[in-house]
Amino acid sequence: MAGLTLRDVRKTYGGAEVIRGVDLEIAEGEFTVFVGPSGCGKSTLLRMIAGLEEISDGEIEIGGEVVNDVEARDRGVAMVFQSYALYPHMTVAENMGFGLRLAKVPKPERAKAVEEAARILQMEHLLDRRPAQLSGGQRQRVAIGRAITRQPEVFLFDEPLSNLDAALRMDMRMELAALHRDLKATMIYVTHDQVEAMTLADRIVVLDKGVVQQVGSPLDLYDRPVNVFVAGFIGSPRMNLIEVRVDRADAAGAVVSGADLAERAIPGLRVEAGETLTLGIRPHALRAVPDGPLRGTVDLIERLGHETVAGLRLPGGAQVTAALGGRTPLKIGEPATLDFDDEELHVFGPDGEAIRFRD
Amino acid sequence: MKRWIATTPWASRGLILILMALTLLPFLSMLSAALAPSGTYPSGLEWPEAPAWGNFARAWEVANMGALLWSSTLIVLGTVPAAVLFATMAGFGLARLTAGRGRWFYLVFVLGLTLPFEAVITPLYYEILALGLLNTRLAIILPLIGLFMPFSVYWMRAHFLNVPADLSEAAQLDGARRWQEFLLVQVPLARPAIMSLSILLFLWTWNQFLLPVVLVQDPDRRTMAGALGAFQGQWGTDIPLLCAGSLIILAPTVILFLIFQRQFVAALLQVAVKG
Repeated sequence: MAGLTLRDVRKTYGGAEVIRGVDLEIAEGEFTVFVGPSGCGKSTLLRMIAGLEEISDGEIEIGGEVVNDVEARDRGVAMVFQSYALYPHMTVAENMGFGLRLAKVPKPERAKAVEEAARILQMEHLLDRRPAQLSGGQRQRVAIGRAITRQPEVFLFDEPLSNLDAALRMDMRMELAALHRDLKATMIYVTHDQVEAMTLADRIVVLDKGVVQQVGSPLDLYDRPVNVFVAGFIGSPRMNLIEVRVDRADAAGAVVSGADLAERAIPGLRVEAGETLTLGIRPHALRAVPDGPLRGTVDLIERLGHETVAGLRLPGGAQVTAALGGRTPLKIGEPATLDFDDEELHVFGPDGEAIRFRD
Repeated sequence: MKRWIATTPWASRGLILILMALTLLPFLSMLSAALAPSGTYPSGLEWPEAPAWGNFARAWEVANMGALLWSSTLIVLGTVPAAVLFATMAGFGLARLTAGRGRWFYLVFVLGLTLPFEAVITPLYYEILALGLLNTRLAIILPLIGLFMPFSVYWMRAHFLNVPADLSEAAQLDGARRWQEFLLVQVPLARPAIMSLSILLFLWTWNQFLLPVVLVQDPDRRTMAGALGAFQGQWGTDIPLLCAGSLIILAPTVILFLIFQRQFVAALLQVAVKG
C-alpha cells in the first residue's frame, strides 16, 4: 500500500486545459472520493493516476516514486471500471487471476489468491461462470475481485456503481465501505453522486472545471463549504441560495435584506454596506413558523413519511426547498413562512467565496 | 411491403420458392448437361434417357482433378492463414495503436479497396517474372496475400474498433504488454471476425481464376477453378464433360458451405452491414 502526491498536475487536450493544476496529498490507507458534475475532470484525473492518460504537466507520485513516465502496468494500481470491463471469453476465476497469470505467479498460488478474493466478496459459487452469465451486481463484484487479487498499492474506482439499480447501489456501497475497512488499502473513488461521496469517503475532493474546489472530510464540506459551488453540490436536497444586499454594517455585524428575504441581522458578519451577498441555507435548517423572514407560496410538496420536502416560490422569484417534519400541514398554492437559526447560515461574497463570521 | 409479406405467408413462401427455383435452375441445367452422353450437344434442361454418370469419372481423370484438389489445398493453406494473421495484426495496430498522424496509413489500405485485381495483373506478371516465381504456386500465394490485404485489414480494423477501450485498458492495468493484450485478450475476442474473414478468403482463393491462368502455365499447379480454363481449351467442344468438371470444382465449396452455413451467413451479413 502507498500514499499519493499530485503536484500541479495539468492535462491539456489540444489547447483546452481540462485539469488545471491539481495539488493533492492522499495518505496511505485513505479512502478519497473525487466528486463533481460531469465534465469536471474527475475521471481524467483518475485515469492520469492510473497511467491511462498522459500527464501534460506536473508530477504524480505513488509511494514516493514519480510515475509520470511509468507504464500503467508498472504503477501498482488496479482499477474498477464503470463498464466492469471483464474479459468476456474468460471465466470469473480466469478474469480474477489474469493479472497474476501475467505476472507468472504459479497456478496453485494464483488459485489461492482468487479463492481468497472470492471469499471476501462472497462469490465462491460464481468462479466457473462467464461474465455473460452474471447479473450487473455480480459482474461488478468480479471486477472488484480482479482488483483485489492483484494486491495493488492503490485501488482506483471509476464510477463503479453507476450501472446498478438504486437498491443494489446501496448494498454495494456498504460492501465497498466494509472492503476498505478490511483491506485498509488506499482507494480513490470517482463519482458524480454526492451521497456516495459522503457515505464512503474519509476525504472528499470536490472538482469543478478541472480545478479542486475544496478538500475535506464529508462533514467538513457539509458544514463549511468554501464557495457557492461546493455549497450547492454537497448535501441533498441542495442548499438554498438567496441573493441579498447589505443595508447596514458595523462592528457588531450587518443587516441584510432582499427581494426574497425580509430584513435580517447577522451578528458578527463583517462586510461593507451596499455589497451584494449570497446567503446559503440548507433545506434541513429551515422550519415552518407563523412568522419569519422567508415568505412564499408553496408550489411543491413531497411527503416521504419521515419528512416533507416542500418547495416555496419567494416573491423575488427564488425557489427555496425546505425539508420539514413528516406531518407539517402545508398545501400547494397556500402561503407559508420559514425561519432558520443564525448558526445554520452560510454567507458568500460577490466572488462566490464563503465569508466566515463565526468561530 | 414488409407488412404485406408478414401478413400473407403464402405470398412470401411463393416468392421464396421462385427465388430458389431461379437459383437452382442453372445448377440443374448443368447437371442435366453433365449427364448427357459425352461429345453430344445437350439441348437445355432435359433429363437424358440414359444418364452418363461416368462423365464425372472421366472429367476427374481428364482434368487430373486429384492433383488439382491437392494444388488448391496447398494454395489455400499458403494464402489464408498468412493473410488472416497479417490482417489481424495490422487491423489491431490501425484500430488501437495509431493515433493522429498514423491514421493516413489506414487510408492507403482503403485506397487499395478501390483497386480491381484485373488492373494490376500485367505489372504483377512482370514482377513475378523478375522474382523468378513464374509457374510456381508462390506466384499465386504471394500476390493473393497482398491483394487480400486491403479488405482484410479493413475488416479486422472495423472489428477491433468495436471492442470497448475499457477492455484494453483493463488488460494494461492487469500488467499486460501490448502483445500479451493482443494474444490473450484481443485475438480470442476477435474469433468470430477471424472466422468469417477466413471463410471469405477461402472462398475467394478457391474460386481464384485469373491469377492462376496468367501466372502459372502448368495446369496441375493451379487452383481447381483455374483449371477450368485449361479444361475448356482442351475440351471446349465437349459440353457434358465441361459441366461435369465444373460441378466437381464446385463441390468442395458447397460442402464447406453446408458445414459452416451459419458462419457464412454471419460473414455475408457483416459485409452487408460494415462494408
